Amino acid sequence: MSKPLIGVILGAVLGAIDGLTAWFTPAVRDQLFGIVFGSTIKGIIAGVAIGFFARKFHSLPIGILFGVIVGAILAWLVAFLQGGYYFQIILPGTLVGLIVGFATQKYGTPATAN
Amino acid sequence: MKWLSDDKLNHLRTVVSEPDFSATKYTFVKELGRGGMGIVCLAEDRELDRLVAIKILNTPDITEDLRNRMIREAQIIARLEHPGIVPVHDVGTLPDGRIYYAMKFVRGNRLDEYAAQGASLRDRLRKFQSVCDAVAFAHAHGVIHRDLKPQNIMIGSFGEVLVLDWGVAKIRDDPRSSAFHETMEGTVIGTRRYMSPEQERGEIDQLDERSDIYALGAVLSFLLNDQPKVSKAAAAISSKAMSSEKANRYATASDLSADIGRLLDDEPVSAYRENAFERTSRWVGKNRFLVLLVLAYLLMRIFLIFTSRR
Amino acid sequence: MDPDTDIGGPAHRFPATNHSAIINARSDDSRVRRRAFDTILASYWKPTYKYIRLKWHADNEDAKDLTQSFFASAFEKNYFATYDARKASFQTFLRTCLDGFVANERKAGSRLKRGGDMDHYQLDFAAAEHELAAHASSTLSHEDYFHREWVRWMFTLAVDAFRQRCEESGRAVHFQLFERYDLSDDEVSYASLAADFGLDTATVNNYLAAARRDFRRTVLEKLREITATDEEFRTEARSLLGIEAK
Repeated sequence: MSKPLIGVILGAVLGAIDGLTAWFTPAVRDQLFGIVFGSTIKGIIAGVAIGFFARKFHSLPIGILFGVIVGAILAWLVAFLQGGYYFQIILPGTLVGLIVGFATQKYGTPATAN
Repeated sequence: MKWLSDDKLNHLRTVVSEPDFSATKYTFVKELGRGGMGIVCLAEDRELDRLVAIKILNTPDITEDLRNRMIREAQIIARLEHPGIVPVHDVGTLPDGRIYYAMKFVRGNRLDEYAAQGASLRDRLRKFQSVCDAVAFAHAHGVIHRDLKPQNIMIGSFGEVLVLDWGVAKIRDDPRSSAFHETMEGTVIGTRRYMSPEQERGEIDQLDERSDIYALGAVLSFLLNDQPKVSKAAAAISSKAMSSEKANRYATASDLSADIGRLLDDEPVSAYRENAFERTSRWVGKNRFLVLLVLAYLLMRIFLIFTSRR
Repeated sequence: MDPDTDIGGPAHRFPATNHSAIINARSDDSRVRRRAFDTILASYWKPTYKYIRLKWHADNEDAKDLTQSFFASAFEKNYFATYDARKASFQTFLRTCLDGFVANERKAGSRLKRGGDMDHYQLDFAAAEHELAAHASSTLSHEDYFHREWVRWMFTLAVDAFRQRCEESGRAVHFQLFERYDLSDDEVSYASLAADFGLDTATVNNYLAAARRDFRRTVLEKLREITATDEEFRTEARSLLGIEAK
């Protein structure tokens, strides 16, 4: 399995889980579908970016750092657009970025040299 | 006639049994070991200015048959050009008629000495895998070792693994080709602890690559013996290699090597069928860090849920 | 092969089994049998004498008489014709015969008569007695002692034969170098030998190597004479050369 694909799958799964936990916040429960959809897309975007980064640069610490940065930026964007819940969105989003960054560096088939 | 003291007598015995390299390019340094009809000594190659190990046929009468067998042993080893098989440099006759061949002098420890120094399980398995690869190469070229044991495996000073002492090796399907010892039916070849059942019974014509596989299994068992925690998979690999029925052993040394590789990579091995719990445990053990990260994420999520509800 | 350094010639083969005195001891030709017997006697009389002295606690005169009587009987009654190499080494066979002979003589209590045929042999019992007095061992078993003395005597005979061979072939210098370097108790170097003999060290090295090579050949020829089969020869050679402990 290629690194971008691992990033996409993991980003989507964790993004969906992220979105589903919004159900525990009654204030936004009625927007659950949108939140899950948006969170999943966010996860996919993060996963693609981190996955392609991992394909190019083989360094676990740098891959994790990149994942953290991408996860944090995208999470902040979502929180900004939401107009709130910054902590509840950015912290898990950053952690998702960390996990995807680690997984794409550790697993997946690297690009073969031409 | 002058009395010969014990010291003088011992000296003369050494003098007459010491190899005479005078008409060769080698200078005798010291004896490294002896066994059967051969001795191995350390010598200096004066032309190339390096040390070599020289095996000499040390029997007092050199018949044509013995001479040919010794040369055959050298030829068997020489045709096996592999980093895990000690290379032969030269073959010749000493002025006193004894046949010799010169090979690479391996500085290092025997595998049993290496294990006694406290090598980790993973290191032992890696070395063992290298042995399997060398033996697989020999088998692919039709050569069966027939005396594999830790004492015939060297770990060089750079960590390289070399299989030595092909003195009882045989080329498959070539009845003339036994390196040295008699190969008549009923003759027992090898070292007891590492001998396959068919070898112990002296069934010379039944010996094939799987007899070497048995010996490799015994070597693996030796390497696992003093380890505190040996997984069921590792024990199963050793047991499979040492099956008393040839058909139940690994078909090739490469298969054995591959299973060792899977064991080292925390992958399932062919010798052992895991249950679901063992499979999950192995996967979790292999991906420990990822599992911890995900758990940390989930815990964090639960924490956030509780704090937001309050 | 360099003729200057190779004394014995290019042959690396050893005498075939028909040179074995053990085999010839069974010959129908009395002259062949006599020569074979002489060889066996020459190789075994001294260890036999010492063995009788130590194991049977015989005094030197009794041991001398027993030794000569034993070999005289062995020749007259052709003991060695019954030897079977498949069962034991000739050394073991001879020692067993000897023990039986001495036990019988003791039991009979008869006055020992020296074998008439033995008178012409020049056996230096005085030297044997002197060696025994000076170098008796108390740690070895009698069998091991017999073997050790046999090894010592074989090498002694080989040194003497080698010396003769060198003198006859005009290679006295080879023997002298061998004697100074390998037989003498003094430590000498190649350089000092070179200076003493007016040679260069390379020549000393070559002569010594050739001498040792020929000495080895002489030792093995001596052994070949008193073994019956190739297998026995190989086994005894490994023991004689210290390749394997007996």
